[in-house]
Formats: sequence, C-alpha cells, structure tokens
Amino acid sequence: MTHWSAGVCDGVYAAGVRDVVYVPDNPLSHVLARFERSFRDVSLILAMREEEAFGIAAGLYLGGRRPAVMLQSSGLGNSINALATLVVPYRIPMLIVVSMRGDEGEWNSAQVPMGRAVPGILAAIGVVSDTIDACQTVSDGVRHQQIVSDTVRGTALSSFETKIPRACLLPKRLTAP
Amino acid sequence: MTRLEATRIVAAFAGDAAVVASLGHPAYDLFAAGDRPRNFYTWGSMGLASSIGLGLALAQPALRVIVLDGDGSLLMNLGSLATIGLLQPPNLTVIVMDNEEYGTTGGQATPTAKGADLAAAARAMRIETAVTVRTEDELIARLNASGNAGLSAERPTIIVAKVIESRPTVKPPNDCVAMKVRFMAALGCPEC
Repeated sequence: MTHWSAGVCDGVYAAGVRDVVYVPDNPLSHVLARFERSFRDVSLILAMREEEAFGIAAGLYLGGRRPAVMLQSSGLGNSINALATLVVPYRIPMLIVVSMRGDEGEWNSAQVPMGRAVPGILAAIGVVSDTIDACQTVSDGVRHQQIVSDTVRGTALSSFETKIPRACLLPKRLTAP
Repeated sequence: MTRLEATRIVAAFAGDAAVVASLGHPAYDLFAAGDRPRNFYTWGSMGLASSIGLGLALAQPALRVIVLDGDGSLLMNLGSLATIGLLQPPNLTVIVMDNEEYGTTGGQATPTAKGADLAAAARAMRIETAVTVRTEDELIARLNASGNAGLSAERPTIIVAKVIESRPTVKPPNDCVAMKVRFMAALGCPEC
C-alpha cells in the first residue's frame, strides 16, 4: 500500500540523508515509524525544541553529514534565530521538512497565523521552500508516492549542491488521514 | 581565574580536538587564546553552541569535541542538557564559562549569581560527570580526568568553570562562510 510518508522516506534516503533531527509531530510520526521499520541506517535524533534541532543539524553538517530537520510549522516559529543567525549566514545546507498546520483543512485557530506565515518568513530570511503539490498527489496512489519522493529528494539535493538550506512543505491536505 | 585564563588552559589542552565557541566573549577569548582551523566561532544563535557540538560529536565519533559555552547561553537552551544526557556522546566535553553575568551585553546578572547550579542541572539530566571547578588547578585536573586527550572517556563531560569576566579586546574574523570552509577542511570533511 502506498502512503505519502513512504515517499518522504524514499526521497530523504535517495538524497543521501542518514541523520534526521526532529521534534515530534503527528503526521511526521508516520515518517519516523517508517524510518525505524525500513531504514535502519538512518539515525533519528530527538531534539527538545526546534531551534536546538537546527543547531544539532548544523553540527552534523560540519562533521561531514547530510542532515535533515523535521518539524511542525508551528515549531518553525521557535527556529527563526537559529536559521537567521547560524544556518543561513554560514551557508549550512540541510533538508527541512515542515509538516504544515494552518492551511486548508485546519480546525485549530491557534495554528493558522504561523502556518500561513511560513512561506513568507522562510523567503524573508533566505531559506528557499518547495511545496508538495497535494492536488497532483491525491488522485493516484502510486504516482502520489513518487511525486512526494521526487520533490523531497529534489529539495534536498538542491540544498546540498547550492549550500543553501531548503525546506519542503508538506501541506495538511497531503498528510491528513 | 578569569575566563581568558580558563580559556587558555582549555586551548592548551585541546590538541586535535574541535572547539566550538558560543557567541560573544567566549568566542573572543578562544580567538585570543590562539586561532586555529579547528576552532568554530559562532556569531549568533545564542544557546546553540552545545547543540552544534553535539551534532559534530555524533557525526565524528573519533573526534574529540569541546564546547566553550556561557552560563547565559546554556540557560537559553537548557533542553540541550536533556538531549546530551539522552544520547551520551562520549567524545563531547562542554565547558560552561560561568561568570554569573551576561558579559557580552553589559554584565546583567544571570541566575547562577543567586546560586542556580548548572552542574546539578546537568547531573539531573543524566550527565553524571558534571562538576563545578573554581580554580585553574581544579580545571586542569578535571580536564585530565575527562579523558579528553586520549578519547578514553565513556561518557560526555560537563565542566562548569566559575570565572571572572575578563573583558576581551580582540575578535575573530566574522566571515562566517570562510570560517566554516576552513573548519570543515581541517576536520577532513571538506565541502565539495
């Protein structure tokens, strides 16, 4: 059975990422569980807070690894200083996977302001972001997984090749059960 | 002991270790103690020096990683103690230069001035080696005991060094990208 989370795992792995620093999030739990089950050489590193996750990921990169950070859009609000004063000015590439809240289908009003601000904030501090096209992905299961995988992989490879941190946004329409 | 004196002791001890310094005065003192390609000076991201050091220690298990943190900085990222305690990287040493003030921003007192105990906080997060040192001899003894030089340590080390603010007079270069490139090349993992 295909699932968007399999596409994320495939894309992350295909880009050579073996270290995933994360702060827990409900949709991302599917990704983390799949990594644990099927990608035993991927290290999953829990951070207490999102800005800490970016610090750990920066250290991993300095040590020659290709890190990814996974977090919820609300937690991106905890990360701006780490991004704007460390990751961006030192040009430390990494894949940033953002599980979106506040977009189409959101029920929690407290998630809306940050969620809708995410692309603008990222652009303002110099982090490029790509959004998985949920309209394309939901219609066909197999293609769906492939599109997710291709987007995540492409985001990651662009980051590592350009030395610019880059985010892949997972819209709620993609990750909703 | 002043922070600069303590930093000189750590620098003399560092050998081939990578040294990551927290922004402001800890980084300035590391530069004053002796610039080297394996020094990484942060110019922002207050609180994250120990997190950067943790990531580096995980990436390079055969590399000794020393972090020069500040009390104010560590207080901004206390969760880092929990993460280090969880992962127990044996090649990581965090030295907290505890001057009991925010030295870089004008000397406002931190909670450690009233007795907040960062070594106790670290021990509570399962970093059992955490101790406070107050003299140069104690710092040297603790560094020697930590197995830093020979990678013989089995657990992460935290040393809270009570220091007197020493008003740095020099700063490292602030070309962040150039410093990153130099640091990674020195560690044997050059950017491609």
